[in-house]
Amino acid sequence: MKINKVSILIVLSALFITSCSDDDNSPALPDGAEEPEAAYENGMLIVNEGPFNNGTGTVTFISEDNSVIEETIFKKENNEDLGNIVQSMAFDDDLAYIVVNNSHKIHVVNRYTFKSIAVIEEDLMNPRYMTVSNGKGYVTNWGDTADESDDYIAIIDLEANAVIGAIPVELGPEAITSNSEFVYVAHQGAYGQNNIVSVIDPSNDEVLDTIEVGDLPNSMQWDASGNLWVLSGGAPSYAAEETNGALVEIDATTNEVSRTFDFSTVQHPGGLNIDGDELYFGMDGGVYLFSVNATELPAEPYIENASFYSMTVNDGKLYGTDAKDFASKGDLIIYDLSSKEKTNTIPVGIIPRGVYFN
Amino acid sequence: MKTVRNSVYAILLLFSMFSYGQRDSITVLDEVILTDVRLLHFSEGKVDVLQDSVLERNGASLTDLLQFNSGIYLKENGLGMVSSPSFRGTNASQTAVVWNGININSQLTGQVDFNTIVPRNYGNVKVRRGGGSVQFGSGAIGGSVHLQDVLRFDSARKHELELGYGSFDTKTFDYSTSGGSEKLTLGFGVNYRASENDYTYLGTDLKNENGAFENINFNGNLGYKITEKQLLKFYHNTFIGDRDFSGTITAPSQSNYKDYNSRNLLEWNHFKENRVQRLKLGYLYERYKYFENKERDDFSFGQTSTFLTNYDYKIHFKKVVVNTIADYSHIAAEGSSIENAKRNTLAATFLLKHQLADKLAYSINLRKEFVNDYRSPFVYALNLEYATAPKHTFYLSGSKNYRIPTFNEIYWMLGGGSGGNSDIRPESSFQGEIGHLFQLKKLMFKCSAYYIASDDLIQWRPNNSGIWSPININETSNYGFETSLEFSEYWGAHHVKWLSGYGYTKAINKTTDEILMYVPKHKITSNLGYEYGSWQLFYQLFFNGSVFTTSDNSDSLSGYSVSNLGLSKSFRIQRKLAIEAKFQINNLYNKNYQNVAFRPMPGRNMQLKLKLNI
Repeated sequence: MKINKVSILIVLSALFITSCSDDDNSPALPDGAEEPEAAYENGMLIVNEGPFNNGTGTVTFISEDNSVIEETIFKKENNEDLGNIVQSMAFDDDLAYIVVNNSHKIHVVNRYTFKSIAVIEEDLMNPRYMTVSNGKGYVTNWGDTADESDDYIAIIDLEANAVIGAIPVELGPEAITSNSEFVYVAHQGAYGQNNIVSVIDPSNDEVLDTIEVGDLPNSMQWDASGNLWVLSGGAPSYAAEETNGALVEIDATTNEVSRTFDFSTVQHPGGLNIDGDELYFGMDGGVYLFSVNATELPAEPYIENASFYSMTVNDGKLYGTDAKDFASKGDLIIYDLSSKEKTNTIPVGIIPRGVYFN
Repeated sequence: MKTVRNSVYAILLLFSMFSYGQRDSITVLDEVILTDVRLLHFSEGKVDVLQDSVLERNGASLTDLLQFNSGIYLKENGLGMVSSPSFRGTNASQTAVVWNGININSQLTGQVDFNTIVPRNYGNVKVRRGGGSVQFGSGAIGGSVHLQDVLRFDSARKHELELGYGSFDTKTFDYSTSGGSEKLTLGFGVNYRASENDYTYLGTDLKNENGAFENINFNGNLGYKITEKQLLKFYHNTFIGDRDFSGTITAPSQSNYKDYNSRNLLEWNHFKENRVQRLKLGYLYERYKYFENKERDDFSFGQTSTFLTNYDYKIHFKKVVVNTIADYSHIAAEGSSIENAKRNTLAATFLLKHQLADKLAYSINLRKEFVNDYRSPFVYALNLEYATAPKHTFYLSGSKNYRIPTFNEIYWMLGGGSGGNSDIRPESSFQGEIGHLFQLKKLMFKCSAYYIASDDLIQWRPNNSGIWSPININETSNYGFETSLEFSEYWGAHHVKWLSGYGYTKAINKTTDEILMYVPKHKITSNLGYEYGSWQLFYQLFFNGSVFTTSDNSDSLSGYSVSNLGLSKSFRIQRKLAIEAKFQINNLYNKNYQNVAFRPMPGRNMQLKLKLNI
C-alpha cells in the first residue's frame, strides 16, 4: 500500500490515530478439546497489517471449518508484539517468516505452534516480501524510501537466521517468487513507479536479467506448465500520466515475455491468483476470471460487486479481505467460486493484508 | 429564506446605528488592557480563568497547562511531540486557539499542536467551554483557548528570569519584562526549552529514541496612547520548533520536524462616549518542514500566510451592548502537496447583549461568511443568563458552530495515493448547554451540561479508486457534564487553595453507535496549593479514563492518573531583588502510561528551577 503522503498527513495531525492494545480476548478452544501440540495446523493464517501510524500487526488463525477463530496468535504464544505494519508471510518446511515492514524485521516462527524461533533485525530496511530458493531466503527491501537507488534483495541464511548479503536491484522490488531455477522480483516501484521483473540466479546471487512488463507489476503466479504470469496495475489516474494495466506471461525457460494482454488505460487490475487453469484478479469493484489458454481479456466480471483490500484464491474458494475504515477490525469474506455466493464473513484483525494456508 | 436572513441583517445593522447611553468606564478599561473583550461580554459563565500561579507551574506548553488545569483531554505522541486536544469529546480540529482575539488554528491541518504554544508569557489565559464560532471562528465547537497579552500601562518595570534544569537533560530559560508609563507600555518575553528527551520506556529496556527537541518562543506587546481617546496596540509572537519525532514501541523513527509560526497584530482603538471602534490588521505565517529521514536533505513542507483586517464597532446603551464586526482575510498556501492555493473570506458578525431585567440578560450572536472555495454556513448563538448577584448565575445557551475545510482537505494534490476533495463541506454542529455558577468568598462551584450534534465530520478514507481523500462522512452526538470546585482559605500565614474538576463525556458515532476513539468517559483534575510565608508546596494530578483506540471499540488503552509534586522557597535578597528556588517531581508515582497507544510517556522525572525577580 502506498501511504507515503498519507503518512505525512498522519504525522502532522491526529487524523486517524488508531491502535490496538494488549487486550487479549479471543475465543478459547471449544470445551473439552485438548489443545493440540500444533494449535495452528489445518487452517488459515491471516496477516493483519495493524494500524499504520502506531501499533502492531497481528496474525489471526481460522480453522479449516471456520469454527475456531483465534486472534493475535503471535502475541499469545510469545508475549511480544510483531511490530508495525505486518506486510507478508513466507514458509519453508515447518517455519514461517513474518515480514514486518515498518519495524524492519522478520520474525521466524514454527508455522504450526507459532512459537518464536528467531528475529532477523539487522540489515533489513523496509522489507516487503520473501521467497525461499536454493536453501536461502530472498527478501525484497525498499531501503530508505526517500532514496530511489538503494533498493535491494536481502539474502537470508536460513540456518543462522541472519542477512548474509544484499543484491542491489532497480527501484521498488515488491512481490517475489521462485521456481527451481530462478528468483523473480516484480518491481512495482515503491513510492515511484517501475515496470520490470528482475530475474536472480540464486546460485551466484546476481541479477541475470530484467524483463519489461506492464507499469507497476503487483502480483505473480505460476501456472501448471511452469509459466510465470505477471499482473501490472498500470499507472493510476492520479499519476502524471495514466497508463493501462497488463497481464503478461513469461516463459521461464527463456525468461522472455511470451504473451501480453493489455487492459484499457483506465483499468487497473490487481491481486492475481490462480486455481487450476483459471487466473483470477480484481478490478473496478469486481472479480475477473481469465483462463490461461484464453486469447483475450474478459469483458465482464466473474463476480460483481466484490472489491477487496486483498484477495486470495485457494481450492475453489475466494478469500477477500475488507479493511473497512482502516481504524477497526476488518473482515475475511469467503466466496464459493463455483456458485459465486458469499459463504462466510469472519472478523479478523486491523487491515487484513494476506491469507495463508497452513 | 435568504431574503429573510438578509433583512434580519439589515434591521440589526440599522439598530446598531443608534447611539445613546452612558460611557461604561470599566468596559473601556478592559478594552485598554485586553483585546479579546468579546470573550468577556458575550460568553456568560462559560469561561475558566487560569491564574498566574498556574501559568508559572504548567506554563511550558499548552499541553502541560491544560492537562492539569482543564477538562480538555490531550493526546500527545510522546512527551513534547505533536499534541492535540479533544474538548467535550470533539476532534482535534474542533478546539479553537484564539490569540489576542484572532483564531490561530493551522490553515493546513485545522488544528493547533498544543506543544507549540508557550502560555507562560501571556498575562491572561482562559478556557471557554462550548461553541463559539460566531466570535471565534472555525473550530470553536468543543470550546476555545484564549491567549491574551495584557498591556500594563502605568506600572513599574518588572523583570523575571528563570533558569531550569531537569531529567533527560532538559534545559529551560525564561525571561520576561513588562511595565510602562501612562502613555506607553512595552512587554517582552522569551522562552527556550531543549531536551534530549531520551526517557526510558518503563517496564522495557527501550528508550525514547529520536525524541530530542528544542524550541524557542518570543512574545512582544506594545501599547501607545496617542491621545486620551486613541490607543494603538501591537502584539507579536514567534515560535520556532525543532523536534525529532519519536517512534513507537514497535517501530523506530528517524524523522525530524521543524516548524515556524509568526503572528503579528496591529490594532487601533478609538473611544468616544459610549462607543468603541477598532481597526485591526494582522499577519500570520506558518511553515513546517518534515524530514522523514533526518540524515537526508529531502523534506516535505507546507506554508500559509494570512493577511487579515477587521473593523469592530461597539456601542453601549444603558442596558444594551451592540457589537458589529466586519472581517476580511486573504490566505495563501503552498507546499510539497499544495500548489498556490488561495482563499478569500469576507465575514459579518453581529453581537448583542441586552440586560432585560436586573437579574436577567440575553445575548444574540450572528455571523455569516462568504468564502471563495466552499459554502460557509450561517452560524449563531443565543444565550440567556440569570444572575442573583453575586452568588448564583444560571445560563442557558444554544449555538450553531462550524469547522471550515482546511487547505490540506481541499487542495492536497493527487499523488502518492492521496488527494484533496474540492467538494468538501464544513463540519457543522448544533449544541445546547445549561450551566450554573455558585460563588462565595472562599468557594466557587461551577457545573454545566451539554449536548452537541455534529454532522458532516470530515475523515480521510480511501475512495473507490483507492485514493485517500477527505469526505464528509461522520455524524456524532456528544453529551456530558463538567463540574469544578475552587476553594481558598487563609489561616494567618497559611494559605490553602484547592481546585478540582471532573468531566463526564460520551461521544458516539451515530452511524455505528460506537464510542469515538480517544475520548475518555472520565477526566479528573485536582490542584492543591499550600503557602506558608515564603514556602510554597503544590500537588497536582490528572486522571484520564480508558479510551478506545479502534473505531469499532475492539481495542482500548487503560486509564491512568499522573501526579506532580513541587516545593519552592523565595528569598528576598534586596528590596528589589527576589530569588525563588523551585523543585518539582513530575509523575511522582512513576506511572507507566501511554497517552497514545504504543507511545509511552516518561516515568518519574525532576526539575530544578531558579527564578529571579527584579
